[in-house]
Amino acid sequence: MNMKILIVDDEQLARTRLRQMTEKLPGFEIIAEASNGLNAIKEVNQHQPDIVLMDIRMPGMDGLEAASHIGKLESPPAIIFTTAYNDYALQAFNCHAINYLLKPIRQEQLHSALSEATKLNRAQTSALSTKEHEDNEPRHVSVRQKGNIILIPTTDIYYFLAEHKYVTIGHKEGLALTEEPLTTLEQQFSSSFIRIHRNALIAIHQIMSLEKTKDGLSLIRLRDLDKPFEVSRRLLPTVRQLIKNHL
Amino acid sequence: MQEMTNQFEDELFLPDFCAIRMVFVVIIIAQLAAFVIALAPLNVPLDDRLYDLGMISLFVQWCALGSCSILCIARRYLKRLNNTEAGLISYLLILLVAVVVNELALHLVYSSQFDDTSTWVWHFRIRNLAITALIAAPILRYFYVQHLWRRNVRAESNSRLQALQARIRPHFLFNSMNTIASLIPQQPEQAEEAVHNLADLFRASLDHKNKFITLQDEIFLCRQYLEIECLRLGERLKINWNIESLPDDALMPPLLIQPLLENAIYHGIEPIMQGGTIEIKGVYERNLLLIEISNPVSTETSGQQSLRSSGHHIAIKNIRERLDAVYSSLGTLTVQHNHDHYKVTLSFPYKNEYEDPNRR
Repeated sequence: MNMKILIVDDEQLARTRLRQMTEKLPGFEIIAEASNGLNAIKEVNQHQPDIVLMDIRMPGMDGLEAASHIGKLESPPAIIFTTAYNDYALQAFNCHAINYLLKPIRQEQLHSALSEATKLNRAQTSALSTKEHEDNEPRHVSVRQKGNIILIPTTDIYYFLAEHKYVTIGHKEGLALTEEPLTTLEQQFSSSFIRIHRNALIAIHQIMSLEKTKDGLSLIRLRDLDKPFEVSRRLLPTVRQLIKNHL
Repeated sequence: MQEMTNQFEDELFLPDFCAIRMVFVVIIIAQLAAFVIALAPLNVPLDDRLYDLGMISLFVQWCALGSCSILCIARRYLKRLNNTEAGLISYLLILLVAVVVNELALHLVYSSQFDDTSTWVWHFRIRNLAITALIAAPILRYFYVQHLWRRNVRAESNSRLQALQARIRPHFLFNSMNTIASLIPQQPEQAEEAVHNLADLFRASLDHKNKFITLQDEIFLCRQYLEIECLRLGERLKINWNIESLPDDALMPPLLIQPLLENAIYHGIEPIMQGGTIEIKGVYERNLLLIEISNPVSTETSGQQSLRSSGHHIAIKNIRERLDAVYSSLGTLTVQHNHDHYKVTLSFPYKNEYEDPNRR
């Protein structure tokens, strides 16, 4: 049984080279190629590779973000990063022992990296997700559905609602569940979402109005949803301040 | 060869006394000295003082212009000596001129009272020679210090320029190496071409001797650079050149345009999935070359964007400093930026011959 490999790189020539080198190695088989992070996730869902050779700098979605989404799978593939230069980003991961190869890659290096390829462990996955979110908010939230990764664009999300063990994500296409705790989500999306209740984050750009009911409750109405959200008394001043600044 | 003569000129501390500007400076210094000498004695009536000033000026100017022309002629020989010898000999030459002028003055002006044995004549000679000696020494010293200062400034600006000399990004080097490695098995000719282009680019970026290259050469380097990037990015990179109106022979510091193209690719084209077109437009008007480079930028914000743009500013700042070092305020680089487009405009004056910074 051959190991299935997915090659991800935005440069045609770089992909060709990896393919040629891998084809010389017995026991490995290339099942697909992708030219950016988004396509990589599509191919992972479709082909379930064992190993992903992942470039870091790519347009659309870069390799680090794609890896952090892929890492959430029940049994994620091993990811080996490939990069032309000792990236600032990679240096941060050296301590986490994440595999990477420097381009131009030598045949022997590729061979040993592929043979030793191990799956990302939880610690590495979470290191990836915290690292890449330091500078900017992620543009997607990934959730698992029947062994696949589903990406939800951040701009399509209306709210995060914590219920029991899971967090419900309300978005354009419907509902989704994630295991990510609400506090983590709040940190990740601190500039586009606001906490209005112990169990709820709301997309700031969706806020339409803040009203008071006869019972003294404060309710937020969203542009694209009928259902209002209750604002807790404790968080009301922050919410009001934000609305004043934004609207 | 030019280098050698430059260095030789460097050796001699004396300025070129044949130059009009220098003669003018000497006349001014001499006249100031004449004022001081005329002002020095006490208890002289105003009329006498003006007469004295006239005579002293005449004498001093003769000395000054005489020294000027002697040093102008002697420069050729002085150049071969070291600065101590040259200083000593030029000092003696100035004193010699003073002696000659002294004798002329005695014969022409004071011939009526001329008596070689009178103490007044000897007093006159010794006094004038002493004054000349005392004034000439600090002036020579002043030229020497100025020479040291100028040499320092030049060395500093040279090393600053070298430090600023555009550096090609390591990213580009390793990406190109990877491209070449991929080409070798399938398209060896293209791989070879890429190696040649890469070698030329690095030769240019490591060359600190040439302060100027022609626009034509710079454009050639840019095309070589873009050829390599085209191999890597394929269809995603399109270039639109529109620079026919620029004079090919214009001189400019090397690698002024190439880093701007590198920026356009690294920050503009690469982050866009479907790529885009870089427009390069040249305008030549009122002796000024305007080169405009524009590229689309990704409208999506990605995690790397903020980090990338800091690299961008370093390149821009570097080019601005180099322009400033070479053209002062005449060379400019302006940046226009909106949500989906980025445009830089480089502007510098047209020059087609190398101007020696030593000759000023």
